[in-house]
Amino acid sequence: MNVLKGKITAIKTNDSISIVTIQVASIFFNTILIETPDTAPYLQKGNSIKIIFKETEVIIGKGTTHLTSIQNQISGEIINIEKGMLLSKLIIDTTVGKITAIITSDATDQLQLKIGEKITSMIKTTEIMLSQ
Amino acid sequence: MIQITLQKELTAASGIMLLDINIHIQQGTLTTLYGNSGVGKTSILRMIAGLLQPDEGQIIVNQKTWLDTKKGICLTPQQRKIGFVFQDYALFPNMTVKENLLYALEKGQDKEIISQLMHIIELKDLQHQKPNKLSGGQKQRVALARALVRKPEILMLDEPLSALDIKMRAKLQDYILKAHQQFGLTTLLISHDIAEVIKMSDIVLNIENGKIIQQGKPIDVFTTKQVSGKFQFSGEIVEIKKEDIIYIVTVLIGSNFVKVVAEETEVQTMKIGDKIIVASKAFNPLLQKIK
Amino acid sequence: MIDWQPLLLTFKLALTTTFLLIVISIPVSYWLAHTKSRIKPLLETLISMPLVLPPTVLGFYMLVVFGPSTTLGAWLNDYLGLRLIFSFKGLVLASIIYSLPFMVHPIQAGFANLPTTLTEASYVLGKSKITTIFNVLLPNIKPSILTGIVLAFAHTIGEFGVVLMIGGNIPGKTKVASIAIYDEVEALNYVAANWYSIILFIITFSILLLVYLINGGYLKKFWK
Repeated sequence: MNVLKGKITAIKTNDSISIVTIQVASIFFNTILIETPDTAPYLQKGNSIKIIFKETEVIIGKGTTHLTSIQNQISGEIINIEKGMLLSKLIIDTTVGKITAIITSDATDQLQLKIGEKITSMIKTTEIMLSQ
Repeated sequence: MIQITLQKELTAASGIMLLDINIHIQQGTLTTLYGNSGVGKTSILRMIAGLLQPDEGQIIVNQKTWLDTKKGICLTPQQRKIGFVFQDYALFPNMTVKENLLYALEKGQDKEIISQLMHIIELKDLQHQKPNKLSGGQKQRVALARALVRKPEILMLDEPLSALDIKMRAKLQDYILKAHQQFGLTTLLISHDIAEVIKMSDIVLNIENGKIIQQGKPIDVFTTKQVSGKFQFSGEIVEIKKEDIIYIVTVLIGSNFVKVVAEETEVQTMKIGDKIIVASKAFNPLLQKIK
Repeated sequence: MIDWQPLLLTFKLALTTTFLLIVISIPVSYWLAHTKSRIKPLLETLISMPLVLPPTVLGFYMLVVFGPSTTLGAWLNDYLGLRLIFSFKGLVLASIIYSLPFMVHPIQAGFANLPTTLTEASYVLGKSKITTIFNVLLPNIKPSILTGIVLAFAHTIGEFGVVLMIGGNIPGKTKVASIAIYDEVEALNYVAANWYSIILFIITFSILLLVYLINGGYLKKFWK
């Protein structure tokens, strides 16, 4: 579980769905929720909040620029790789702190990921949860 | 309105513990006392029932003072109008099911209530049996019916469902809820099962070490404060297995097992038997109609 | 043939003693099973003394205390017309003291073994202590009470030492079967002694058997 602390900077609501923007250090994260400021009192601009996403939901892109539909992108450097039979765990150092990613070992091999390499970690908007 | 203030020094397994609580209960609500064993839940119920004396305290039920240690008032259990379902049911072995209920009648009370209760709690077929011939769930139902005969002002249930299997539990929870609603009771229930608390109660008091550390609607106390995920269930860890570089955690939710992938740093804080919340975003689960 | 009087007297004594013992033992046992009083061990010891002391000790002290020449004995005799020495009443009193542990122990154990929640459940249902004892507690310790009755009854029938000390040997008043048997043997009248013994044996055997049958539930099918 990756947990990052940030502040809510924007909330866009339509019916019962909201897209919330959270600033962590210099990075902006977006998340989509079935909540509105009316149903969840913690959804207020300026509120401190934690964002949570699972390691297995982190997508790794080689290099630093990618054109994808994924809005949450953080560039960083791989500082550790723990390779298992099927899965690999990567620790990535970014401006928002350390992020853990679990991807398949096949992907690690195909991308030829190494310690010290610059990569981009990406998380889909639908995969980020909020916690007080 | 029921106001309860109680203080008592209790000897717990870990030494002396000071029980110190202050509760306000609305008429007609079902309140659960939640917490691990040995935090004083049973003692609280026993003090409300008058079976245990607090060092200091005050109990006022609908403007009537049941207990006021400062004024030296302490009604006996007989004078407090309560229903109590004991953990061991405490059915009288020498009496049949019906006799157990009849015994609970007050002088001059209409016997109609007995057949009414036997109907609601479905005891007709068992009425001539002695308690030792009954299963755990049946005993439980008799104990519940017996506690209701006097039309108590407070119904208290001391972890009534802990000895029953999951299926039986769900059925009895329904009986309790049915009785609670039909008789407009004010009910106090002890439980350490989160799913049960969420299903049954209007208000939950989370008790730790003789103090109430949290109270409110169960859904608030147990869930939303923690994560925004809409797909949330509480359950108990039954297995943690390392596979490759990840861990697979098996969680019992109600009567279903689910498996969740977890990472080493998460697993380090967990052990088998822990109560946890399984959460996911509403965007992820797939729905498939059952044919 | 033999004189039936000693046998009748034996059973009269045993029945009277047992009946009075039930009345006395139930409150005493209830108190002992529930009290946290500091004098409880002392009382328990006193009640249990007849188990270890020779019956002659009890008889001796009763003679000393209640004899007509003592102040208490004289007072009881003069004002209440109560003679406790060489009388049936004296025998009953001695038998009660002597058989007390046999009645109190099983009933006390019966009370103590009942879950306290039974009492609490009854109180919570608004029932008084007395109602609870008679309707909930006593019916659920029937086997213990029956055991107490059997033991006390049998023990009273088998009494010898105490009776000899304070009862004397007054036909129709204090000459019970056990004394009669002793008398007949002393007089080398073995046939009569044998009759008393056999009858005592058969009757007590039958009573005990019946009680155990009832207690074990063997007779239930006959009256159901």
